Amino acid sequence: MKGRRGFLAGSSVLALGLMSRKSLLAAQKQNKTVRWAMIINLNRCLGCQSCVVACKNRHHTTRDQFLTKILIREKKHDSDPELLFVPVQCNQCENPPCVAVCPNKATFQLNNGVVVNDWSKCNGCGKCVEACPYDARFLDPSHGNKVDKCDFCMDRLAEKNIPSCVEACSSGARLFGNINAAKGEFAGMLRNSRRTVRDPRQTKKAAVTYIPHVKTGKIP
Amino acid sequence: MNNKSETTAEQKKAKKDVSLSRRELLIGAAATAATFSLSQSTEASESKQQNWLSPRSLQQGDKKQARTILSVCLSCNSRCGVKATVEGGVLKEISGNPYHPYNHMVTPEEYSTPIEQALSKPSPVCGKAHDCTGSVYDPYRITQPLKRCGSRGEGKFEPINWDQLIQEVCEGGKLFTHLGEKRHVPGLAELASDEPVAADAPELGSVRNSFVFMTGRLQTGRKAIINRFVKDAMGSINRVGHTDICGIGFRMGNFAMSEKKQWEFKANPWESEYILVFGANIYEALQPGINTYGAAIAKRLADGKLQVVIVDPRAQNASVHANDWLPVKPGQDGALAMGMLRWIIDNNAFNREYLEAPCPSAAEKIDHCCYANATHLVIVAPDSERHHTFLRQKDIASTGSKNKDECYMVFDPVTKQPVPFDSLDSAVLERELSVTLRDGEKVLVKTSFQLLREAVMVNTMEEYAGFCGIPAEKITRTARAFSSHGTKAAVCQYHGAGNYPGGTYAAYAVSLLNVMTGSIEVRSGYLSSGGKAVAWNKGVYDLKTFPGRRKASGTPISRAKTVYEKSSEYQFKKEQTGTGYPAQRPWFSFTKGGLSVETMNGIDAAYPYQCKVLFHYFYNPVYSTPGGYRYKKTLADTQRVPLYVSIDTTVNESNIFADYIVPDVTWAEGHYGWIHPHAPACRFTALRTPIIEPLTGRNKEGNPFCLETFLIDLALRMNLAGFGENVIKDNSGKLYPLLKAEDFYLRGFVNIVANAKLPDASISEQQFVEDNYPVAKFKNILPEAQWKPLCHALARGGIFPPYQDQFLGERFNRGIKRAVLFNEEMAAARNSLTGQRYSGTVFYQPPADSTGEALEVQDRDFPFQIVTHKMNVHTQSRTINHRAALEIFPENHIVMHLDDARTIGIKDGGQVQLISRSMPQGITGKVRTTKNIRTGCLAISFHYGHIYHGASQIEVRNGESVFLGGSKVISGNFLIPDPRRGKGLNSNDVSRLDHHLDNLPLIDIQAGIPDFSSTRVRVIPA
Repeated sequence: MKGRRGFLAGSSVLALGLMSRKSLLAAQKQNKTVRWAMIINLNRCLGCQSCVVACKNRHHTTRDQFLTKILIREKKHDSDPELLFVPVQCNQCENPPCVAVCPNKATFQLNNGVVVNDWSKCNGCGKCVEACPYDARFLDPSHGNKVDKCDFCMDRLAEKNIPSCVEACSSGARLFGNINAAKGEFAGMLRNSRRTVRDPRQTKKAAVTYIPHVKTGKIP
Repeated sequence: MNNKSETTAEQKKAKKDVSLSRRELLIGAAATAATFSLSQSTEASESKQQNWLSPRSLQQGDKKQARTILSVCLSCNSRCGVKATVEGGVLKEISGNPYHPYNHMVTPEEYSTPIEQALSKPSPVCGKAHDCTGSVYDPYRITQPLKRCGSRGEGKFEPINWDQLIQEVCEGGKLFTHLGEKRHVPGLAELASDEPVAADAPELGSVRNSFVFMTGRLQTGRKAIINRFVKDAMGSINRVGHTDICGIGFRMGNFAMSEKKQWEFKANPWESEYILVFGANIYEALQPGINTYGAAIAKRLADGKLQVVIVDPRAQNASVHANDWLPVKPGQDGALAMGMLRWIIDNNAFNREYLEAPCPSAAEKIDHCCYANATHLVIVAPDSERHHTFLRQKDIASTGSKNKDECYMVFDPVTKQPVPFDSLDSAVLERELSVTLRDGEKVLVKTSFQLLREAVMVNTMEEYAGFCGIPAEKITRTARAFSSHGTKAAVCQYHGAGNYPGGTYAAYAVSLLNVMTGSIEVRSGYLSSGGKAVAWNKGVYDLKTFPGRRKASGTPISRAKTVYEKSSEYQFKKEQTGTGYPAQRPWFSFTKGGLSVETMNGIDAAYPYQCKVLFHYFYNPVYSTPGGYRYKKTLADTQRVPLYVSIDTTVNESNIFADYIVPDVTWAEGHYGWIHPHAPACRFTALRTPIIEPLTGRNKEGNPFCLETFLIDLALRMNLAGFGENVIKDNSGKLYPLLKAEDFYLRGFVNIVANAKLPDASISEQQFVEDNYPVAKFKNILPEAQWKPLCHALARGGIFPPYQDQFLGERFNRGIKRAVLFNEEMAAARNSLTGQRYSGTVFYQPPADSTGEALEVQDRDFPFQIVTHKMNVHTQSRTINHRAALEIFPENHIVMHLDDARTIGIKDGGQVQLISRSMPQGITGKVRTTKNIRTGCLAISFHYGHIYHGASQIEVRNGESVFLGGSKVISGNFLIPDPRRGKGLNSNDVSRLDHHLDNLPLIDIQAGIPDFSSTRVRVIPA
C-alpha cells in the first residue's frame, strides 16, 4: 500500500481533501480535529450537472429530490445578458438553525462540522425542513418521510474517498478538504479574500463557502 | 432466465473472491485505512463510534461484493474513460478512468502506474456517464426479437423465436400473409446476386447494393464487424454512417482546407490563449465532451489563462464565463468569418512569414509542420479546360521527372519567374501575371492568396455585418483580438458552423482564420486529433482479409463521393437535351460522406435504384433528422422499403415501422471497441469491454441477442464468406473461427496490444482482470502469451500515449502537412443540378434550397428562425431514459428573446404553436423567455418530444417476456407508457423540406449537408 500513499501525497488537483499521513500527523500533534470544508468556485462551474447526477446515482434520493442542485440564474431585465450557475446543498452551518428546532435531537452536528440526521430518531415532523433558510432539506417518502440532506458523503469519507460531487467535478469548481490540514489548491483557496458564505445575512460561518463570480460578483 | 444465470455467476464469483489479491485491490479503501493508524484514530474512529443511523446506510442497502471494470463510456460519442462498480451483477456506479487523458485534462495517471495504486485516484466523468444506468436498466428495453403483427407503424408486435428471425430475414417469402399482405418479401439471400441493380446503368453496381445498412451511434469495433458483413461478405456499398446529421457542415470546411486529409480540428483547450467558438456548445456537448473540453476552458478562464468569444445565435452556457458573445444570425457564420478575413487582410494582420513559406521545408524552418498553399499559382482562364487548376511545372516545361513535373509553381520574388514551390523558402504572396503555357496557350495566373483576397473583397465590412447581424465594429474588434494572439489563437468550430446548405464555404472561411494566423497544427492553435495509438486489423491476426472477400462497388444510394458526369443518367440526358443536367437528385463528388439524410431521400425516391432490404442500427431517423417526420411515409411504404429490420434497444419513432426489431445490448453489456480520440492532439486507443452480463435473451449457442449474434447467425445461415470456422488467419497461417463476437474483438485487441508492444500484465493485474471483467471468461480464445499483455491494457481501459509526446516543440507531430486557400478538386466539381462549377476558395452565399433561392427570402412570411442544441445531461435521441436527467430537466422549451415575447404578447411558460411552410399543422411547446438569444431566433434543445421510446402505448403480445421491466410496464398485451418521456417537443417535427425536390428533407446540393438552421416559423399563442 506504499504506492497509494505516494499517490495521495502527490496528487494535487482532485484529491485535495484527502489527508496525507504527514498532514494527519501534523493535525494530531497540534491536537486539531478534522474540520471538513467545501469551497465552490463559481468561476469554474460550467453548470454541467455531473455533480448532481453523481450524487443522485450514489444516494438514490427520492424522485425529484436532490442532496445537491445547480441553481441556474439568468438576469432578464437589464440590458446585459447574464447567466450564473450556483451549485447548492446543505452549507453545514456552524450554528445550524435546523438542529435547534429538532424535537428529537435527530439532527445534530459532528465534531468534524458535518450536520447529520439520525434516522432512528427522526419522526419526519418537518420542522428542520422549514427552519433551513436554504431549502437544503426534504422529506423522503420512500423512507417513511424521514429527513434527508447532504452530509458530505460521510460514507465515502469513512472509506477515504472524497464526496461524490467533488470527484465528479471535472473543472475543479468544487474543492474539498480538512481546514486543519489544508494543502495545495484547497489551502490557497481557503486564503482567498473573496471567499464567503452563500448568504452572509442568514449565516455567519459554514463549512460550504463560495468564490463569487468575477463577471457579476454574485452568489444569488 | 438470464438474470438467474447472472446471479449464479456472481455467487460463484463471490466465493472465489475471497482471494487475497482481490481483497487488496477492491476493498483497497478499507485495507488502506488499516495502514493509516493515525487516520483510524481520527476520522475512522468517529464513524466507528457512530451510534446513529445514517440515511446513507438505508439508501444504499447492504454492500455486496463489488467488481471494478475500466472501460469506455458510450452515453455520448465523446469517448471518455469510465470505472464501473458492479455489485451483485448490477451496475451501481460510474466514475472516470484514472489513466484516460479525457478524464484528467490530459494529465492522467502515468501509464506505468500499477492498477492497485491508480484505482483509488478520484476521476471525474460527466453526468451522462453517471446516469447511464437509466439506459442500461430501462424497463422499456426489449430483450426478445419482435415481428410486426399489425400494419407498418401501427405499433403491434409479437415476440418470435431467434431461429425464425434468422430464417425469415435471410429467406424472405410471404411473411405477412396473415396480416393480409400478399406480397413477396425479399430476403437478404436474394440480394446476394451479381446481376446489375439497374439494367441500363452498370455504374450503379449489382443487386447487392439494394441491401442498405444505416448506422446511428456507431464506433470502431462494431463498425469493423458491420463492414465485414455488409461490404466484405454481402458486397453492398451501402453501409452508411450519419456524419451528415452529426455535423458534416463544419467538417466540410476543414475537409476543403485540408484537401480531404482531415475534418476534425479544434483549438487546443489546454494551451490556446484565445478561442473563438463557432457553433460549438462547449459547456454542454462537443467531442471531446464537457468534462474534457468544457472543463478545461472553464478552469483556464477562471485562472485567467484564456479568453473565449462565443459566436452563436444562442449565448449558450459558456457565456457564463466567456469574454464576449457575438449573436450571429443562424446560417451566417460564413459572412462573419468573411468579414474577419477581410479585416485581417485589409490590415495586414495575417501571418505573412507563414503564408509566404511555399513548401514543407520552408515551413519547418519557421517551426511549422503544416505549410499553406497561399503562394501557389492558379490558372484563371474561364474559357479554358485548365481554369482553376494549379499551374504546374509540366505546364511550362517538362523536366523528364514525373514528380518534378507535377510540382506546384510559385512566383520567385528575385527572378520574377514562376518556379517550383519547393525551390524557395519564401515566395510572392499576392501577384497575378500572364504565363505562356508549353502548348502556347497564354493564361492568367494568380496566387491562391490573391484569389482568396478577391473573394473576400466582393463584399464590404458593412455588407458582411448586415448578412451576419453583427455590427462591423464588433467584427473588427474580434478580428483584431484573434489575430493579435498569433499562433496562440484558434477557432473551435462544431455542429453550428455550417450545418446548413452552403455550409462548406461558411466553415471553410471559419477554418481559414487559423491558416491566416498560422495556428494550424501548432501546439497552442488549431489542431487535429492524434488518432489511434496503433492498428487493430493486422499484426497477429488478419482481420481485414479472408478468402471470398468481396469488393463492394458501384454507386451508393446517397450518391456520396460519386461523379454525376460519369453516370448513365448524365450520358442519356446529354444525348437527349445536350446538357446532361439536372440530375434527378443531387450527386456529391466532393463530400466527406456519411450521408444518412440523402440515403433516406434516395430510398424514398428509389433513386438511383430501389432499396430492397433496409437495416437500421441504433438509428432513429424519424426523430433525429431535421424533417425526419417525412420518413414516416417512406418507412410505412412496403414498395419503397420491402423489408425493414431495426437493431436497437427500444421501440422508437422509426422502428415502430419495422418488420422486425432485433434486441441489442447496451454498451455496458457489449459494444466491444477500440476507440480513438476526437480531441486536439490526443492520441489513444481506449478499449471497451462489457461491464455486466448481457440482459437480452440468448440463442441456442448461448450467445446474447445483439448486433453481432444477429449478423453472425445471418452469415452462417447464408454461408457468407468471412464468418464461420477457419476464417481468421494468424501470422503463422493457422486459422480460427468467427462464431461469436469475442472471436473477432479479442483478436482485434491482441493486434492492438502486440502493435503497441505492451508488456505482460503483472500477476496481480492479470488477476484483477480475471476476477473483475466479464470478458475474462473468454480468455481461452487466446493463448496465454497473448492474454497476459492484453490484461495490461484491459486493466487500464486502453492504451494512452502521453499528450506531451505528440509535439516536437511547437509542432504537432501527427497533423496534416498542407493547408489550402484554394482547393483544386473542389473547384473541379460541378453542381449536379445546374452543371455550374464550384468555387475553389471561399465565397459568401446565404443558405438556399435546390433552386438556389435563399430560404430567408422564400420564407420571409415566417418571422422566427429555429436553432437547436444539445443539453449537458443528454445525448440526441436515446437518453430520455436517463433518470436523473429527467428529474433535473423534465422537459424542453421554446426559448425566445424577452423582447420578442413581449411583442407578440407571450409570457414565460406560455404555450405556443410553431408553424413552418413545410409543416402547417405545426408543433406546440412551452415558451421560456431569456435575453441570452438573438432576437428573431428560437432555441429548442433536442432529446424531448418523444412519441415512442416508452412515451406511448404499443401492443406487444406476451409483452412481459419482451420488456426488461416485465409486468411493471405491461398490462395485458399493452405497454404502460411513462408520460414523463413524452414531454416537451422535437424541433425536427417542424423542419423545412425542399419543396422542389420531392418534398424531402432539405440538403445542401454540394456536399449533402442537412439543414439545422434555416427553418423559419410563425409563433401562434395556443
